[in-house]
Amino acid sequence: MQAQLLWRTLPSLVLGLLFLSMPAMGSCSDKYPELLGQLQKQADFMQHTNTLLDLYIRSQGLDKNGLKEHCRERPGAFPSKDALQRLSRRVFLRTLDTTLGQVLLRLAALEQDIPKAQDLEMLSGVKLNIRGFKNNIHCMAQLLPGSSETTEPTPTSPGASPSPTPTLDTFQRRLEGCRFLHGYHRFMRSVGQVFREWGKSLSRSRRHSPHQGLLKGARRMQLSGRNKRLMPRVQLAPGSHRGAPGG
Amino acid sequence: MLTLKIWIVQALFIFFTTESVGELLDPCGYIKPESPIVQLGSNFTAVCVLKEKCMDYFHVNANYIFWKTNHVTIPKEQYTIINKTASSVTFTDISLLNIQLTCNIRTFGQIDQNVYGIRIISGLPPEKPTNLSCIVNEGKKMMCQWDPGRETYLETNFTLKSEWATEKFADCKTKRDTPTSCTVDYSPVYFVNIEVWVEAENALGKVTSDHINFDPVDKVKPSPPHNLSVSNSEELSSILKLTWINSSIQGFIGLKYNIQYRTRDASTWSQIPPEDTASTRYSFTVQDLKPFTEYVFRIRCMKEDGKGFWSDWSEEASGITYEDRPSKAPSFWYKIEPSHTHGYRSVQLIWKTLPPFEANGKILDYEVTLTRWKSRLQNYTVNDTKWTVNITNDRYIATLTARNLVGKSNAAVLTIPAYDFQGFTRPVTDLKAFPKDNMLWVEWTAPNESVNKYILEWCVLSDKAPCIQDWQQEDGTVHRTYLRGNLAESKCYLITVTPVYADGPGSTESIKAYLKQAPPSKGPTVRTKKVGKNEAVLEWDQLPVDVQNGFIRNYTIFYRTIIGNETAVNVDSSHTEYTLSSLTSDTLYMVRMAAYTDEGGKDGPEFTFTTPKFAQGEIEAIVVPVCLAFLLTTLLGVLFCFNKRDLIKKHIWPNVPDPSKSHIAQWSPHTPPRHNFNSKDQMYSDGNFTDVSVVEIEAANDKKPFPEDLKSLDLFKKEKISTEGHSSGIGGSSCMSSSRPSISSSDENESAQNTSGTVQYSTVVHSGYRHQVPSVQVFSRSESTQPLLDSEERPEDLQLVDNIDSSVGNLPRQQYFKQNCSQHETSPDISHFERSKQVSSVNEEDFVRLKQQISDISQPYGSGQMKMFQEISVADAFGPRTEGQVERFETVGMEAAIDEGMPKSYLPQTVRRGGYMPQ
Repeated sequence: MQAQLLWRTLPSLVLGLLFLSMPAMGSCSDKYPELLGQLQKQADFMQHTNTLLDLYIRSQGLDKNGLKEHCRERPGAFPSKDALQRLSRRVFLRTLDTTLGQVLLRLAALEQDIPKAQDLEMLSGVKLNIRGFKNNIHCMAQLLPGSSETTEPTPTSPGASPSPTPTLDTFQRRLEGCRFLHGYHRFMRSVGQVFREWGKSLSRSRRHSPHQGLLKGARRMQLSGRNKRLMPRVQLAPGSHRGAPGG
Repeated sequence: MLTLKIWIVQALFIFFTTESVGELLDPCGYIKPESPIVQLGSNFTAVCVLKEKCMDYFHVNANYIFWKTNHVTIPKEQYTIINKTASSVTFTDISLLNIQLTCNIRTFGQIDQNVYGIRIISGLPPEKPTNLSCIVNEGKKMMCQWDPGRETYLETNFTLKSEWATEKFADCKTKRDTPTSCTVDYSPVYFVNIEVWVEAENALGKVTSDHINFDPVDKVKPSPPHNLSVSNSEELSSILKLTWINSSIQGFIGLKYNIQYRTRDASTWSQIPPEDTASTRYSFTVQDLKPFTEYVFRIRCMKEDGKGFWSDWSEEASGITYEDRPSKAPSFWYKIEPSHTHGYRSVQLIWKTLPPFEANGKILDYEVTLTRWKSRLQNYTVNDTKWTVNITNDRYIATLTARNLVGKSNAAVLTIPAYDFQGFTRPVTDLKAFPKDNMLWVEWTAPNESVNKYILEWCVLSDKAPCIQDWQQEDGTVHRTYLRGNLAESKCYLITVTPVYADGPGSTESIKAYLKQAPPSKGPTVRTKKVGKNEAVLEWDQLPVDVQNGFIRNYTIFYRTIIGNETAVNVDSSHTEYTLSSLTSDTLYMVRMAAYTDEGGKDGPEFTFTTPKFAQGEIEAIVVPVCLAFLLTTLLGVLFCFNKRDLIKKHIWPNVPDPSKSHIAQWSPHTPPRHNFNSKDQMYSDGNFTDVSVVEIEAANDKKPFPEDLKSLDLFKKEKISTEGHSSGIGGSSCMSSSRPSISSSDENESAQNTSGTVQYSTVVHSGYRHQVPSVQVFSRSESTQPLLDSEERPEDLQLVDNIDSSVGNLPRQQYFKQNCSQHETSPDISHFERSKQVSSVNEEDFVRLKQQISDISQPYGSGQMKMFQEISVADAFGPRTEGQVERFETVGMEAAIDEGMPKSYLPQTVRRGGYMPQ
């Protein structure tokens, strides 16, 4: 149990350290709505299976003989939408960053099974997009108040491990990779929904007080950060109560 | 093994060679800095340091150093001796880009030796790049460009740097041929802000542009929509539906569009309002299009928020709207054929094809109806645009409709008036035609009455071709339009406008116009109609309409003499002749003529004419009065002469007694009449002897002349010869005038001199007067005591002469003359002198009168008369004498005759051919 806790908290620590240790490079946008919109669009884009999964299925020959039916997300591999919605914004960002880091690692492993250069180039583009997404997460984290506080634990899923067990044969490995990517797209869809809720929250805040919406949200997030609770952001984003199905 | 040996030998050779060369090339010193790059306009100092070894060897130190730039010695003022081995040189404000600097020493006082050399490169540090901008062409990598700033004259590297907040990208190094742009290696990541800047660096510095931070998706230039297609709708003839496929960028961003369209034959595009295409879509229906019209479409897109760049235009696609029934009736008109049979007339109905925008489809045929007054309607279907029909002289109403796949047009109605219709009035007024915007516009004032429509007809006026009319129809509300025909420039159009009323056409008005004028093709040919001394009437023909090329506004006549300046005269275009005045008489003029339209002129051929010296009638005006005056003078002279004929006769043509009628002729030894020659009164009493010449030879002096006197007489004789020769024209030659002496010899003279008796006689010679040969040899009575000549004493001899004379004609006379002349030449002319002296004793009054006669004669006739004399004397009298002699005679003779100092005994004698007048 203790080990599990450590496993859960370790990425958070890593991410926190990462945020802190990030060298002063290109400046991030200081416009929250703009950055939120970028994240949302990235998530919307990345949720499409044609950006990665279809490529993988095709390259691995999994699009024949009904094999595609077996390419289902392994439950627990990625956080569910509900779980994501329950996270505070900061934790959500941290979780997102961690998960995408694991995706990058897994993609690096899957790269070995993709023979075609063209597919590899596409895969390289996907990885670059994920890195760009992580960059926006970093920038969004900078925009959130109390960005220096990085102690909040990040929920992780055991299924989101960097690589499957090495004992699997090739087919199983390909199928596992397919399941992983399936989960990835579902996860990104969930992330997009979360960001959309963020956007709705921002709109409501703007309608109420255009200039104070963000600050209010930020204050609540600060509060949630200080309370170190996972749920308060639910109050900040009431729409999340509707509970769109998770993965 | 052998190979190894060879290798070792080669290696050793190279080693030693290198060492030895190194020794040989070891310089005597060096310059610091070694390879300087300095900024233009800055100061620069170089130091030359000599090596001790060289200094010892050449016995030199830093004082011996001198510097050169590009082989030119630098003034020593720029040197600084730092120490014994080092000398520096300083340059201020370097302006050359490339300088060769050498350090030299002078060894042994005279040998210049180069120690070391460097090359100074000059330039400028890079300027801060500006106007950095990036573009992401969809499907390609990001490309950024910038302004590099000023020229640095040095190799300057530009590096495009980019990074995210969490990640740096690889630098983008510019290529040598594109130093102001660079395309990054990585694919753009949309929705992630990236920071980009440019670094420019050369040997003199490094500078960085401003950083720009943007989302690459805002710099996207999308690929244009593709597979654009157009489809029409049978239900609606005014719409076309466009469909297309968006580029893949629409997966990331929303798009907005520009849709443009035009008809096939148009050149300008119309655009769908942008607000109708402001969001991502895949089709669009364009409305309000014309039926049965082909439209061309194109489309482009960009990010819907306006950030980024418009894509290129898509490929064009076209479609045709569906047909609709013709929207308008065709233009409808008629012509009545000239031929007219009794009771019928041939009418040609003509109409225009509808333009596509009115036909709204393919016209299948036309339907014509003809309705005579109160008779039933007749239908005809015609595929052509004209139809000729014979109709009666009644009034007809014709209608015309055009039909296409969808339906028929409205009917065009035309009233053809009856044959005897007299109501052709009510024309348009103020008809004008003018070119504008490369079209020929016609404008008129409408009649007061309501007009159904106007028919405009026009044709090209030409002398070579008939006027083939074109026409068009305008609505009754129109009063200005342009001719919609294929008009040509420089052609004269005759335009007529006919108002068409409900009851038929009105009167026609016409006007001429040009679409565009040009200078005439040919100039007018000018010619003279009449040329006077100081003026000329020029005329020319009007230019044919085919060469006018415009309205002839005026003519210009250019005329000049050969040497004079050209004069130009402008003449109104309505004239066909012009009078040039103030011309110079008897002068060649060159004249040409130019005709001008509004656009310029054209010269005609040059024509030359010469003004006469005299005006017409001027010669007559001079000659006639002169002739009249001359005639009058002559008449007066004649009258005067007639009145004074006696006096003139007396002075000019003295009566020469006819020897044949002389009383002396009747004198004979038997009946010697006695004449008293001394009685002047007796002489003058007889009219026939008014001017008889009398020669009195007196032997007053018995003395024989002294030789001196003879000499002087001889001299005088010469003069006398000439005088006689000259006067021979009047009185005959000396030979003739001295007939007596010729008859009498010198001996006889002597004897005469010795004779105290005064028997004077003279001989009337046989030759007679005016070719009249005397019938008998007659002698006048002489009172001379001189014994008679042998001939006289021997009448037979005389008879012989007379016979010879009568038988041979002129021969004896010539011989006689010849003889006399020879005598004249050979014998002294004392007798002349004597005779003169004798004459001098004659009454002084007579002499004066004679002298006056001579003067009167010689004065008016002058040399001409003398010439005549000369010819006579030369030909008949003097024969072999030279002309010079003759001329001398002429002058001297005259002088002798009038010279008072000369003996007055000489008398002029009138000599005629073949005879002489005795004195």
